[in-house]
Amino acid sequence: MAIKFERVSFQYRGVDDKGYLALADINLSIAAQGEFITLIGETGSGKSTLAQHMNALLAPTEGRVHIFGVKLTSDKKKNRKQRLNPIRQRVGLVFQFPEYQLFEETVLKDIIFGPKNFGVPHEEALERAKKMIQIVGLDESYLERSPFNLSGGEKKRVSIAGILAMEPEILILDEPTSGLDPMGRNALLKVFYDIHEKLGKTVMIITHDMDTVYEYAKRVLVLREGALVYDGEPPGLFSRKHVEDWNLELPEILRIQRALEERFGIRLEKNPTSRKELIEALGEVVM
Amino acid sequence: MFDIMKSTFGVMRMNMIDIENVSFAYSGKVEALKNVSLCVRKGEWVTILGHNGSGKSTLAKLIVGLLKPQTGTIRVDGVELSERTVYDIRKKVGIVFQNPDNQFVGVTVRDDIAFGLENLQIPREEMVERIERYAKRVDMYSYLNKEPQALSGGQKQRVAIAGILAMRTEAIIFDEATSMLDPDGRKRILSYMRKLRDEGVTVVTITHDMREAVQSDRIVVLKDGEVLKADKSENVLKDKETLEQSNLELLLPLEVLHGLEKKKSTNEELKEFLWQLSLNG
Repeated sequence: MAIKFERVSFQYRGVDDKGYLALADINLSIAAQGEFITLIGETGSGKSTLAQHMNALLAPTEGRVHIFGVKLTSDKKKNRKQRLNPIRQRVGLVFQFPEYQLFEETVLKDIIFGPKNFGVPHEEALERAKKMIQIVGLDESYLERSPFNLSGGEKKRVSIAGILAMEPEILILDEPTSGLDPMGRNALLKVFYDIHEKLGKTVMIITHDMDTVYEYAKRVLVLREGALVYDGEPPGLFSRKHVEDWNLELPEILRIQRALEERFGIRLEKNPTSRKELIEALGEVVM
Repeated sequence: MFDIMKSTFGVMRMNMIDIENVSFAYSGKVEALKNVSLCVRKGEWVTILGHNGSGKSTLAKLIVGLLKPQTGTIRVDGVELSERTVYDIRKKVGIVFQNPDNQFVGVTVRDDIAFGLENLQIPREEMVERIERYAKRVDMYSYLNKEPQALSGGQKQRVAIAGILAMRTEAIIFDEATSMLDPDGRKRILSYMRKLRDEGVTVVTITHDMREAVQSDRIVVLKDGEVLKADKSENVLKDKETLEQSNLELLLPLEVLHGLEKKKSTNEELKEFLWQLSLNG
């Protein structure tokens, strides 16, 4: 396992010394290849704190995190930059609103900043930039443009290309599609899916969008008040009991499927997991 | 005489917001808005829909005078927006922005709600009463003495809304106010919008979330700074072609409905059910 959490808790130190338990006794394993995970939970449930442990931006206050063989504990003396830097190259973390972090004159300079910082030679960094700009769905002409004149969706893509250019093995994205219009969101999700499918990388997305969870993820993690309450396949998450107990919003596909079943007794043989599949499946049984 | 008055002023007075032939360009860039005309009637809930970069937020900033149009006129409640009238107009139109972190100005929740009221020079006693009433309205009463860092994004957004509600403006613009919130936060804000409409407040929501648009009376679709379509919500929500031109998509129940209609389905009961499903997403 590339990432392993063993009984991890994390306590934020409060101003009044009361502190705040953001993660509580988390056990979790993530493979270096082939996973497509979504991480969900209400605001303040610990999602971003968990993600920041995955590339050693935070260290647990209790328990152990293993990342590519490096062990992280509350022992601050051992959490030196030298030891942790390689992890940050292998686990790429894209913050929410990464577009605010673009700062160079050109898209190219922004993309090669990360790899050069990790010691990649200039020529190779250029090659990677050319490759990654295409993977995120933009053409090479963007490389010479100023990042500040791009649309919100384009800026997001450029900042993701910058993380990809560091060639991380695992890519973690914190609410990458919030604020994007529906087609921009779909296009970006397809980019992440391609990174997972074509490059074989593990991708984890933090999201509030249950449609993303249902339509894309192979595995979903649910945090509630810092505790990991679900780790499994998306269909199992949306059982009536979980939806009620955890106040989950149903994915649209499931909401419609269930409403039609309840009202008209329409039963679909296979559970559709995309809009297209739902419409096709209904087309066969409904006239 | 009355009839003449009505024909001269009547139409204008029915509208809360009138935008006529407005164009705007940020310096050195292509036009963000091109010759846009639209109106919002008093008590109406209008959604401005459009892709990222379609000019939606620019339009909101123009209405409250944060930006100045290069050509065209904007009237609020019949008064033309100008440097002289902008402060009066802001007493009539409140605005809630996308990012809750960028609009919290007070040291505590109480101060934040008070901010707009101080500008209106509301007497102290009434101010206290209004702060408490509207904090209750957005379920933030028990947080009145809290500081912003103790609040989630959704809670900060509710405080921003309480601040606008307390000013009792006749119209409120929500500029992508739900796009950064979790499902619970989004639903709460939608419920406040519905309540406002029921109370006769004019509501303008700027969004690309179709679940927000479906609640409104009328929808204006923008594309590349131009009005692509303006019609009753019912007609726009079903218009797959128009929506897709502006990077939007049909609500899923209406996508299913669209599929059925293409197959010439005659199951009216099912079609009506799908329409209802789209309204309470």
